[in-house]
Amino acid sequence: MIRKLLCAAAAASALLIGVAQAKETIVWWDFLSGGDGVRMKTLLEQFNKEHADSVQIDATTLEWGVPFYSKVQTATAVGDGPDIMTYHESRMPLGVSTGVLSPLSPDELTASGIKGSDFSPANWKAAQGPDGKQYAVPLDIHSIILYYNKDLLKKAGLLGEDGKPKGLDGAANWDAALAKLTANGVTGLALPNDGASGWRIFYTLFNQQGGQFLKDGKFLDGDNLAKATTTLAEMQKWVKNGWAPSNTEYPASIALFTSGKAAMHINGVWEVPTMVDLAKKGQLFDWGAVQIPVLYSQPATWADSHSFAIPDRKGNPVSPAKRKLVLDTIHWFNEHSLAWAGGGHLPAYLPVQESPEFKALKPNSDYVSLAKTAVFDPVSVLAGVASPVYDAAGNYVIPALNGEIAPAEAATKMRDDLQALTK
Amino acid sequence: MLRSRRAERLTAAALMAPFAVVYGVLFVYPTLKMVELAFTNAPLIGPGAWVGFDNFRRLTVDRLFSTAFWNTLYFVALTVAPSTLLGLVVALGVNRLKGWLQSVVLAAFFLPYILPVSCVFHMWNWMFDKDFGVLQYVLAPLNGGQHVSVFRTTPYFLPAVAFITTWWLLGFNVLLFIAGLRNISREIYEAAELDGASRWTQFWRITWPLIWPVTVLVFTIQLILQFKIFDQVYLFANFIVRYDPSMVMVEYIFKKAFQQNMGGLAAAASVVLFALIMIISVLQYQLLRARGRR
Repeated sequence: MIRKLLCAAAAASALLIGVAQAKETIVWWDFLSGGDGVRMKTLLEQFNKEHADSVQIDATTLEWGVPFYSKVQTATAVGDGPDIMTYHESRMPLGVSTGVLSPLSPDELTASGIKGSDFSPANWKAAQGPDGKQYAVPLDIHSIILYYNKDLLKKAGLLGEDGKPKGLDGAANWDAALAKLTANGVTGLALPNDGASGWRIFYTLFNQQGGQFLKDGKFLDGDNLAKATTTLAEMQKWVKNGWAPSNTEYPASIALFTSGKAAMHINGVWEVPTMVDLAKKGQLFDWGAVQIPVLYSQPATWADSHSFAIPDRKGNPVSPAKRKLVLDTIHWFNEHSLAWAGGGHLPAYLPVQESPEFKALKPNSDYVSLAKTAVFDPVSVLAGVASPVYDAAGNYVIPALNGEIAPAEAATKMRDDLQALTK
Repeated sequence: MLRSRRAERLTAAALMAPFAVVYGVLFVYPTLKMVELAFTNAPLIGPGAWVGFDNFRRLTVDRLFSTAFWNTLYFVALTVAPSTLLGLVVALGVNRLKGWLQSVVLAAFFLPYILPVSCVFHMWNWMFDKDFGVLQYVLAPLNGGQHVSVFRTTPYFLPAVAFITTWWLLGFNVLLFIAGLRNISREIYEAAELDGASRWTQFWRITWPLIWPVTVLVFTIQLILQFKIFDQVYLFANFIVRYDPSMVMVEYIFKKAFQQNMGGLAAAASVVLFALIMIISVLQYQLLRARGRR
């Protein structure tokens, strides 16, 4: 009886292995939750359906930030981990320095139809290591944008004929606009008061002054400290004058805007679906989103990029055949990145970014201009998503915004803290 | 006689072996490795070069480490003694109840203890919420009518987390004390009553001395537990922004090892924490036991 059972079990498992061999499985790790997660799941389902008889992606979503990157690091060190993973371009320096990423040779990229010329130069370069090798392929560019309430801007005379804000460029105009919009229980601006958001806004305005956050291994060196102080002083003014409420939690800042209690809102492009969904249900006023106004001498906006990479699994590398398959898959996702743009992101893949379909996609095409002057995080193991630089923004930029610490003191302390970590 | 003793020893060794091996491989070996790591400049994964006491020197000059060190001690002070004493008070009360009422009340006190830390965090984060929290009805009048952003106000952060932690873990202390109280024979109290001792005298002369060993136990468990504070502080700090002023030691270790890839430095901080816990718990255990013996 037992022998019979064992035989049956063996036969069944042999059958299963037979099926598995006919179809390749790609193990996939990502950190995409929320709206991004839903959108990626739809794309993954589409991929699996289109490749039903050849490839199956087995996807797992892990916790964003430090937990994701430590898990990848520990897994690859023992030859474990996925065949493909998402990676922030801003965190590439750490990934490369810890040997987590496997370089992608030009030949294998070409073989899968991936070309550097299909991406904007800064975007493509941000996926390279200090050794000049390519370690990832970008999927999108994501940034912060200015969301605005058309009705409130119109009332204040700040809306142009084209439905876009006017007269917001230049710090003096921007301040005057905020003052004008702040009336009748409405504030001009709502900002998420978390470290990451603080960093993105700070870095945007800092770069609009031509600042360099990290130069030759020195943080906020020379006149960059003054530029950082100017930025923080400007931000502090917004809260101090009551143009933006203080200590606003991330969800509350969105609620303030969507309920019409704040005329404008600065947040990531990933909140576009929130607005689109509300508008679809008829629960939102007439809204729009544009590139962050230029307050200083030059346009610049903080940006980062979700990209795809192959982990360097020690002692158990991804086989050449599997690598080819993975790169083909990456190319497939870039070709289908219009669906990903529904999440507010800008497709990194230029053939999609310049396609008529994308140009028809609102509001993305209203702020796609930011990609040309996008500034990526400083190239350092201390910078990027969930890095000490992000933490420093939490420790100093947000308290400065809320007037708990003087701008000059905040800038100096931020510099000293980060500089101490380089030793 | 001699043979049988040898056989006994063999049996003992065979029975001990599984534990000894597991303990050695999973506890002693990693601990020794950690101490070794503390003297190297190793990253999170992989070997490093021997750097002597350099990591410890760096800890002494790191402003963040000293913040973490003092915050940890502060948190221990805020939680250990209060939660031990509160546990005893609640246990004394519950012990006086009878029948099903006692079970219900005991369960009510124990309920928070079985919640995972993430639930505890979400519940209290909502209750304390600046805009929508129910606790603002209590806090705002104390603050001149203004809503208070408790976790964003540095001086309130650790006391608030300590309060939540005490609420969360109290049930376990109560349970230990109840077990201790039930072990005290009724007859002693009856004899005391016959001698005309008041409830107050009964407590100080009978309950307090006889419950003392349990008190020492609870105190020690709490002490070690609270020195290792991480989850709650990490969760609450993650939702606000100022990590540094609220930093505790385990969080510092986590940050150095996993965010900044500095295995050696993180190991050195772990060694400091390990030594600190060992010294203080041994000291306090000896001290309290000596007091109890009197």
